[in-house]
Amino acid sequence: MTRRNDPKGPVKRLSAMSAAVRTAVITGIAITPGAAMAQEAIDLSKWSPEYVRSIAGTGKFDTAAECAKTVPLDYTGRVSVWYTGPADAEPEITKKFDKEFWEAFKATYPNITVEAQSIVYNDLLDKLRTSLLGNAGPMVVRLQILGGVEFAAKGYLQPLKPEDVGYTPAEFWPGAMKSVTYEGATYGIPTNNETMGFIYNAKIFADAGLDPETAPATWDDVVAYSKQIHDKLGIAGYGMVAKQNAGNTPFRFMPQMWAYGGAALDENLDAPTLQTVGLNSPGAKAALQASYDMYVRDQSVPVSALTNTQAENQAPFIAGQLGMMIAHPAEYAKMVDLAGKATGKDKEVADEVVANMRYGLIPAGPDRRAVVFGGSNIHIVKSDYVEGGMDEMGAKALICFWTSPEWSTKLAWVGSNPGNLRGFQTEWMKERLDTIKFLDVTTSMLPSGIPFPAIAEAPEIMNIIIPDMLQNALTGKMTVDEAAEDAAAKVEALLGGM
Amino acid sequence: MAVSSGPVTGSLRRDDGLLRRIVTHRADYAYVLPALVVMMVVIAYPIWFTVDMSFYKTPASLQLRDRTFVGWKNYHTILTAPAFWSVTLNTLIWTVASTFFAFLLGLGAALSLHREFAGRAVLRAILLIPYVISAVAASYLWKWLYHSDFGVIGALSVQWGFTDKPINFLDNIHTALPSLIVVNIWREFSFAMIMLMAGLQTVPEQLLRAAQVDGANAWQRFWHVTAPHLKGVSMVTVLLLMVANFNSFIVPWLMTGGGPAGASDIWITHIYQIAFGRQNWGLASAYSVILFIVMMCLGYFYVQALTRGDKGRPE
Repeated sequence: MTRRNDPKGPVKRLSAMSAAVRTAVITGIAITPGAAMAQEAIDLSKWSPEYVRSIAGTGKFDTAAECAKTVPLDYTGRVSVWYTGPADAEPEITKKFDKEFWEAFKATYPNITVEAQSIVYNDLLDKLRTSLLGNAGPMVVRLQILGGVEFAAKGYLQPLKPEDVGYTPAEFWPGAMKSVTYEGATYGIPTNNETMGFIYNAKIFADAGLDPETAPATWDDVVAYSKQIHDKLGIAGYGMVAKQNAGNTPFRFMPQMWAYGGAALDENLDAPTLQTVGLNSPGAKAALQASYDMYVRDQSVPVSALTNTQAENQAPFIAGQLGMMIAHPAEYAKMVDLAGKATGKDKEVADEVVANMRYGLIPAGPDRRAVVFGGSNIHIVKSDYVEGGMDEMGAKALICFWTSPEWSTKLAWVGSNPGNLRGFQTEWMKERLDTIKFLDVTTSMLPSGIPFPAIAEAPEIMNIIIPDMLQNALTGKMTVDEAAEDAAAKVEALLGGM
Repeated sequence: MAVSSGPVTGSLRRDDGLLRRIVTHRADYAYVLPALVVMMVVIAYPIWFTVDMSFYKTPASLQLRDRTFVGWKNYHTILTAPAFWSVTLNTLIWTVASTFFAFLLGLGAALSLHREFAGRAVLRAILLIPYVISAVAASYLWKWLYHSDFGVIGALSVQWGFTDKPINFLDNIHTALPSLIVVNIWREFSFAMIMLMAGLQTVPEQLLRAAQVDGANAWQRFWHVTAPHLKGVSMVTVLLLMVANFNSFIVPWLMTGGGPAGASDIWITHIYQIAFGRQNWGLASAYSVILFIVMMCLGYFYVQALTRGDKGRPE
């Protein structure tokens, strides 16, 4: 491995600046992070659809020049990376940017040999677990937002901060930084982040006597609107998802729980300890009660909610049989795609649904407005577990490139947003806003994003215990109180090491 | 080339040592040695690893090498957990009901298709479809047939006036498991049919005719002539179905994920959830060992059924 320049100079300078920048973000003061001192400041306290539009296209960025400060462009080395690349079914533009990314990296760092493996989402974690057991992991891995915690806890990951690749923590969402922080140390850098929005069918709202241009403001409104839609039109109002062992379930239930003031642990706090169980709090019970009211009392949501993932809500929504649901930023594109595939009378209905599709903010609750902070992070595996040995400079060059304003925007084109906040100032973000409908609404939810607790037990809590709690209450197997207490006891036992 | 080095007689005594037998049949063992080595690697080692792992605590926050020995604690945890007994009950209901009805339906189909009639070949091909169709495809197909809001069965039941609203098959704790069992029976009865059709070929036609001449009615001919000839193949079929059903994963996992509220959670789905959902490999291994013991018991009976009558044959 050849090292031709000392990268510590710029890193040290940026590290020193980061503390002040972090303070600025927390206090809502306008900041100008990292290398973009010449750009207009990003003020997270002003975040709104209008603000997102106003800053898009205001900055110019030179990725090669920024990364050269960390790893010189003539550096000779290698890097191996595993990630989930575009699937066959994904839009052409996603595949195009993925291809262009690797070409651009090769052009910028011609002497770094890249061994990239695209591994499907469902296989990546298991493949990584297996390979690490045999010390045959990659140098770099990009995982979904909570995927890295398990590996950090097990000691497989090397500490990695934004400063290590020439950026500052302030250039990333505080929520995203929480997701890469385990026991006080930072183990990764966010590549992309997204939050969901709330979509509804304006025609159904109008037919049910609701204001077609106003999304429900609170979760109590959702319960009431869902009942009104069901009572007046005989169709499901809200697209509840409560399947067991399914990641979709907590992504849709936790915003409701946080809004009512509940939490799985205390992840909804600004400085969570992640040692307090919140599932039996009054807020958590209120959220569970609201779900119970919709499913059992009002019967205003799909009966199939207990076996539905989000994918199963798409068919009734495009068929005009479902009024509203929490949805991904890419849901509009999906609905357009479904309408394009429909024929005959189905197509008429689907086209009408697309025309009447509206995005709103996820409803607020008595405590706050909240949404799950989603996305992906990139990590460096410890040298001991890497096949063929580690080339840290090669790994950092790739990570710097990937998390740059330019590529974190382009690689998140359809379904997410740049992990690097300066990506919102790029010309490509402006292009996205101009071409992707409702993107401004879903991006404006980002400040309300709360990441799942960054502990190794989080997948069990989120994907098993919380869906179980919902199902226990919704099937009548337990009362709302019993289900909440049962779930809390399970989390207590889990955290207690039982 | 010598196949066997020593004389082969039927008088080899049971108290002959294993080593002596190996020496006597060394050439035979040499032939199967490669297969034995492969089996040791791909079967015996994973079994040993799983048994070993079942005595360790493996929290999600630790690497496997940092596991801690807990003795029988995982087994104690399993046997004292309420979930174990509900999952075991579900597994027994699932296995016994699926096996019994798949066998019964398969027997009926085999008896019907044993007789010559126009279109028999077409009907046989149609009845084989559930067996050849992928379990994943079948699960999704039935999920939409059963769908509690937009399912075909629910829509027809409303349209024909049987019910006021679609029947709740999969989202009800009382109906989820029986609904899955129906799917499983549908998938498996073809297998029983094929096995029993093969068995029916062995029933001597002259015996059936003689019974008929003696005045035996259809039921008496079946019970006293056909059934005894099907005993062997029936036992093998039932055991294979039971083994398959104890190991069933795809249908319950894809259709309900073990829900709602654990109502369709059976051993395999439960073990999968503990291992891959909770990353608790030690506990999942202990569960797997218990399941392995049950399967070995079934396997013993299966081998007994297969080798019945072989005892008098020379080694």
